[in-house]
Amino acid sequence: MIKVENLKKSFGENDVLKNINAIVSPREVVVVIGPSGSGKSTFLRCINQLETITGGHIFIEGLDTTDKKVNINKVRTEVGMVFQHFNLFPHKTVLENIMLAPIKVRKISKEQASQRGMELLKKVGLAEKANAYPDSLSGGQKQRVAIARALAMEPKIMLFDEPTSALDPEMVGEVLEVMKQLAKEGMTMVVVTHEMGFAKEVGDRVIFMDEGYIIEENIPSEIFNNPQQERTKAFLSKVL
Amino acid sequence: MSFRWDIIFEYAPFLLKGTLLTIGLSVSSILIGTFLGLLIGLGKIMKNKVLAFPFYGYVTVFRGTPLLVQIFLIHFGIVPFFTGETNAVTAGVIALSLNAAAYIAEIFRAGIQSIDKGQMEGARSLGMTHAQTMIHIVLPQAFKRMIPPLGNEFIVLLKDSSLLCVIAAPELMYWGKAMGSQYFKVWEPYLACAFIYLFLTLILSFVLNRLERRLKTE
Ligand SMILES: Nc1ncnc2c1ncn2[C@@H]1O[C@H](COP(=O)(O)OP(=O)(O)OP(=O)(O)O)[C@@H](O)[C@H]1O
Ligand SMILES: [Mg+2]
Repeated sequence: MIKVENLKKSFGENDVLKNINAIVSPREVVVVIGPSGSGKSTFLRCINQLETITGGHIFIEGLDTTDKKVNINKVRTEVGMVFQHFNLFPHKTVLENIMLAPIKVRKISKEQASQRGMELLKKVGLAEKANAYPDSLSGGQKQRVAIARALAMEPKIMLFDEPTSALDPEMVGEVLEVMKQLAKEGMTMVVVTHEMGFAKEVGDRVIFMDEGYIIEENIPSEIFNNPQQERTKAFLSKVL
Repeated sequence: MSFRWDIIFEYAPFLLKGTLLTIGLSVSSILIGTFLGLLIGLGKIMKNKVLAFPFYGYVTVFRGTPLLVQIFLIHFGIVPFFTGETNAVTAGVIALSLNAAAYIAEIFRAGIQSIDKGQMEGARSLGMTHAQTMIHIVLPQAFKRMIPPLGNEFIVLLKDSSLLCVIAAPELMYWGKAMGSQYFKVWEPYLACAFIYLFLTLILSFVLNRLERRLKTE
């Protein structure tokens, strides 16, 4: 589904991703963990090319998306992304937030978009907020809207960049619940998170990153109970 | 020495004509200047520095030189160079528009750059193009923030249109000067002009305030 080959990314002199190789299979939930500044967000953002990569290749369903001839907007319609700070559009209502891209990009009708939008809002438990503006929502509600907005494009892959890090503790659960549901439905997901409970429970595989490298990857029980690398052990002893 | 109300009344039709031209000059320059300013502002924030350079140059030149000098250059130099003759009103609109465009470009640039880049990323991650994101996401939000500084610029432009009296564009100040030199008077013509300018700027700021409040509650 996703194949990352020798991915490199630098910001000027700062080599943030040094040589990343990874594969994400269909229906798999991959959780990415690692210390702050290790390049987790950058890795995720390179997958849908919100960052221009410095070297390497990224294949999505066999298509080399780093090829200059590939229309990146088209690729992004297949790869949804959820951000730490939601990035909802404050001048649009919740439902409009969800409807905009399907109408403008997928060119579906307003009626269809609105119907689909309402279904998604029901799914994330926010149907009654359809006409509210994002500023009137709690953090957890905002993030659920953001997930619904990404799902409205019917992506094949969902990327989550610390979706619960900006939330008050009591709201983390409601967002994780929606993500669990998605995983259960078979969505292919790459999730950067500090929620180790989620990684253990939902993750099919955990990738540990540090200083721009993938240090170790394995199924959650192995990573958490039997880490092989010193750096993994050191990191886990701090966060668990 | 008494205040000569009679000469103000005598000149009232001219002052009115001048006021209408002042309004016309200002409104058309505001519209043209805003349109050009948007393009120049967008030009300045292009990632490609080579393409953005002319827009930087434009703003630097028009902000860095006096409007009065620009008016003379355009009226006596540039317009005649292209058309062989000149016309104070046309030259006036051109000068005011080009000058305002430089300031408005900066307002657009600052407004656009004040929008959190997460907005651009949120929209792009959904597959929207750069242009779609600008039109539907960034500009509508930026525009709200730009109303107060744009309002200031419009008021400055309205007042600066009085400079066009030096090239004999028959706007309000031109008739004020005419009245002053006919009767060798200072207070009557210039107080009358000041009062009318004040009235116009008050109306303009009232309209802008209303617009700002409407957009805020939306
Ligand atoms: N746009 C940018 N310009 C310059 N440097 C950047 C940029 N984005 C990230 N970096 C640098 O890249 C490195 C990795 O950042 P990244 O955000 O990927 O880390 P992270 O693992 O997501 O950390 P966190 O857990 O704090 O989110 C950091 O040193 C950061 O300063
Ligand atoms: Mg991060």
